[in-house]
Amino acid sequence: MEEREAESSPVAEKKEAEEEDDFGYRLFPDRNKKPQSFLVRSLFTFHNKCQLMLRITLETNPYARLLLEALKQSGCTVFNDRHFSCENCDGCVSGGFDAATSQIVLCQNNIHQQSHMNRVVTHELIHAFDHCRAHVDWFKNVKHLACSEIRAANLSGDCTLMNEIARFKFGLKGHRQTCVRDRAIRSILAVRKVSKETAEKAVDEVFDACFNDLEPFGRIPHSRADAKRAYRDFQNRDRYNANL
Amino acid sequence: VGRRGRGRAGSAGYPGRVRPQPPRSCEDYWGEWKHCRGLRHAFHHYYAHGELPACGRWRDDYEACRAWEKNRAAAAQEALCKSERARVMERQKYAPVWKLRKSPPLDWYLPLDHDKSN
Repeated sequence: MEEREAESSPVAEKKEAEEEDDFGYRLFPDRNKKPQSFLVRSLFTFHNKCQLMLRITLETNPYARLLLEALKQSGCTVFNDRHFSCENCDGCVSGGFDAATSQIVLCQNNIHQQSHMNRVVTHELIHAFDHCRAHVDWFKNVKHLACSEIRAANLSGDCTLMNEIARFKFGLKGHRQTCVRDRAIRSILAVRKVSKETAEKAVDEVFDACFNDLEPFGRIPHSRADAKRAYRDFQNRDRYNANL
Repeated sequence: VGRRGRGRAGSAGYPGRVRPQPPRSCEDYWGEWKHCRGLRHAFHHYYAHGELPACGRWRDDYEACRAWEKNRAAAAQEALCKSERARVMERQKYAPVWKLRKSPPLDWYLPLDHDKSN
């Protein structure tokens, strides 16, 4: 399970000796449970709000629309009720990508603003895109996981200056790379039972290649306008490739 | 064997293929140049890469694009395509971390099994 944490403090580590790697599924306790009844879900959870915000994101957000089209072009058409699931999650987690079922999990109890939903959906769609276009060994190869987390942190808007300032992390010259690196390491540690040194080593080894892998955007989208430009370029890619 | 555009002969002095149009529209090159020169983009580039962006290339590409459209100049076509190919090569300079698929994952469309434990 690849997870994306909220902006507050990281999930507390559970130091249980000799426990097998649960791949982050402990953060998503509803994954293995039967779905709740419609009445319980509607009255006692934020399920409907989550579904509404998700729909708004998929229909209006240029980041998400580009990723959906790129996924479709790669042969992975996304269906709302098959590939998204709004669930209650543990701790401060905002969402995750379950590679075992090819499903994006959105934490309905932790996402309360549309801008947050936009970022989480973009982040997880990037994982889904990587899963669709490449043989990513999510569960056994930490470098593969690191690469996808670097790309997702870089391209989803997780590491904008304003988001970093909101986390009380200040820096300017090349700070985006510091943010991407730190968030990738944190995400790996949350879902894999590896040491910090292992996570840092994996991230450092693949950082240059993955920070500069900007597919399907072709650029780092710093704003909605950038994302719209990227979407325009994506739609014109046939002309571009034919006339090189 | 080069491709021939319908009704358009190959550009004089360039024996290869004739490309009917530039890779991007000239308005796109102009837009990219203007965007690149803006303060907001300079800030974002400095924040991401630790240096200010170099925008002269977009201007050169725009001028080559205009020359292509106006005069169908072979030199302009070649310069523009060379610049775009260099952009593509820059993105591919790092060895890929993973192997690309030839077809999507088999389980992408499989129905969910809610009783299955992970």
